[in-house]
Amino acid sequence: MVTVRIALRNIARQKKRSILLAGAIAFGMLVITVLNSFTAGMVENVRVNFSHALGGHIFISGKQLNDDGEVINQIHDEQQLSDLLLTYSDEIEGVTKRTQTIGTFIFGSKQGMQLIYGVDFQEETKLLDSLTVISGDLTKLDQENAIVIPAPLGQRLGIEAGEIILVKMETISGQQNVGEFIVAALIEDQASFGISAAYADKGYLNYLLGLMSDGYQLVNVFLKDVDRLDQVAEKFSHVLIGEPKGLEEQSAIFGIQFEAVEELAQPWEGVKYSILTLNDIMEPVEAVVTVIDAISLGIFLVLLLIIMVGITNTFRMVLIERVKEIGTMRAFGMQQNTVKAIFLLEALFLGLFGGLAGLVGASLVMVVLSFVSFSQVTGLQFFLNNGYLTFQVSVGTVCLTFAILAVMSLLAAYLPARAAARLSPIKALGSYH
Amino acid sequence: MKFNQRLRIISLCLIMIFSVFGAVQAKDDVDIYAILKKIDTNTNFGEYDFSSVMTMVVEDLEKGIEKMVVHQFRRDREEKFLLLIQEPSVQKGQGYLLEGDNLWFYDPSSRQFAHNSLKESFQGSDVRNSDFTQWTYSSNYEVAGYEEGSLGGHKVYIVELEATSNSVTYPYIKLWITQTETPLVLMAEEYSLTKRLMRTSLFPKYATIGSFIIPQQMIFVDELVKGSKTQVILSELSISPIPDNVFTKAYIERVNR
Repeated sequence: MVTVRIALRNIARQKKRSILLAGAIAFGMLVITVLNSFTAGMVENVRVNFSHALGGHIFISGKQLNDDGEVINQIHDEQQLSDLLLTYSDEIEGVTKRTQTIGTFIFGSKQGMQLIYGVDFQEETKLLDSLTVISGDLTKLDQENAIVIPAPLGQRLGIEAGEIILVKMETISGQQNVGEFIVAALIEDQASFGISAAYADKGYLNYLLGLMSDGYQLVNVFLKDVDRLDQVAEKFSHVLIGEPKGLEEQSAIFGIQFEAVEELAQPWEGVKYSILTLNDIMEPVEAVVTVIDAISLGIFLVLLLIIMVGITNTFRMVLIERVKEIGTMRAFGMQQNTVKAIFLLEALFLGLFGGLAGLVGASLVMVVLSFVSFSQVTGLQFFLNNGYLTFQVSVGTVCLTFAILAVMSLLAAYLPARAAARLSPIKALGSYH
Repeated sequence: MKFNQRLRIISLCLIMIFSVFGAVQAKDDVDIYAILKKIDTNTNFGEYDFSSVMTMVVEDLEKGIEKMVVHQFRRDREEKFLLLIQEPSVQKGQGYLLEGDNLWFYDPSSRQFAHNSLKESFQGSDVRNSDFTQWTYSSNYEVAGYEEGSLGGHKVYIVELEATSNSVTYPYIKLWITQTETPLVLMAEEYSLTKRLMRTSLFPKYATIGSFIIPQQMIFVDELVKGSKTQVILSELSISPIPDNVFTKAYIERVNR
């Protein structure tokens, strides 16, 4: 206890030096905490926004063969699926049913292709909340042929909200069809993450695709506990596909689907299901985040290294300053280990105080940033929660950072501490004269 | 009213009814189905092979005008065709091979075959892959109605068709067919499932080769995209036998070496 008191007193004796050292440590702690919390919050926001944009956490699509042996993308006989959803109703928060197609948008002499989701706007309020409107109004979706299109497509075609656009598409049996849509709003899209979709009323899209008005091609499941996503998807896959979820099954759900030769050669009975999860879609995002985390860890370690060199040098100076004091304490019977412990404890406390100050500073920075609205900044919306940054502080990561700080501080002070402990009391006292 | 007066009125009504019925009967005498069958037969080379060089001019307000030259080989009896692009040079060697229900697209840059569909457009033009096959109006459509009219000085039947099969690209078609012994389709309007006019096809020039009469000049006008149309002109028509190996994937790969 005396050792601790001496170590604390030593820190207090040289306030300026201690504050500078602890400040440097605090800065490192602040940077790593803010960056880690930012990336964790960003991943969570992207996950939530993706789930709303895509309409769930687990995405089930189905295809059947028609009488001519052609592949039809629809889930018609859904008994097996209904039974499955009923079985796992405790795990499920909600289910959305969608239709999808790739349409050619035509406006005057310009045209562009775009994925279209047929959704029930009344039910999918979360989707509407997650969309960032560039122009137009999402409250004007009560018209049967209203459509929400990504802003880049609108700009390419030169169309504005309120104008009428033609959309050419194929029915589920492959015949040509054309729909007339009113553009209700232009929204920000996230093509770089593979999500760029227009949203139309499911009933009208079904009519154009030759599906029943209440028909659907995708069943999307929201889970209560997203952490259980992979386990539940695995069980779904086992029941619907009869085998573990494979990559070849995933490609069929999003984007243009090409009929595989095997499908033509080997017909099947009933619905052939494919399952994709939010985690599969999040892989590229998480890869980016892993890189950001690695970079921030690298910055932190470099900062820490510089700080540690500073601590080592400072303690060498401290050693020179306290030679007489150490000699006196040793003359009064203080053991070598106690001298070493005083030095090490001093470094440890500096590290911990600096870390604590950094954590407080990081909290302040995060609180301030979380009140700043970024809703006007285009290209960021999928990373934000309703236009605001979100920070997720991980207790585990903070503890780990503290541990690293403590160990590094102890390592930095070890050599000066050992040198102090090995000082001969006679020589030390001799330096008085 | 006197009995004679009543009798005259009834007689008049009966005459009118029979006149109308007679007119309808006369109209029904035109066997549109037989005409469609003749048209289909004319464009089906049956036991013969067919080859030609197609020059396509694709007009688009956004992309401008592009010219393509495509070598076409057809064997209708086996539901096969091969389309080999000769021009432009950047697309040279690309090919479409139809083998029954399967249509393959070959890209020499990737050296791979990809599955394609007859319902898709050919190289982004206004021509569908199905336009390169024989016509099947009589087998895939039923007559929804017809009337007589004229087009470019020709007396024509204007026939409305409805698809009986999902395998066709357009669910509704309106044809302008000459009232001649050898009926020729002069114009076709193709409609979507929502009955919106999607494409107008004009066939102003026909060529006779052997006993077959096929359109030699075709103009496809996209009615949805303003200013988009494609003209196809056939030359070097031939019904000489084509070697079997031409309709194979190996052949497309070989001509690209």
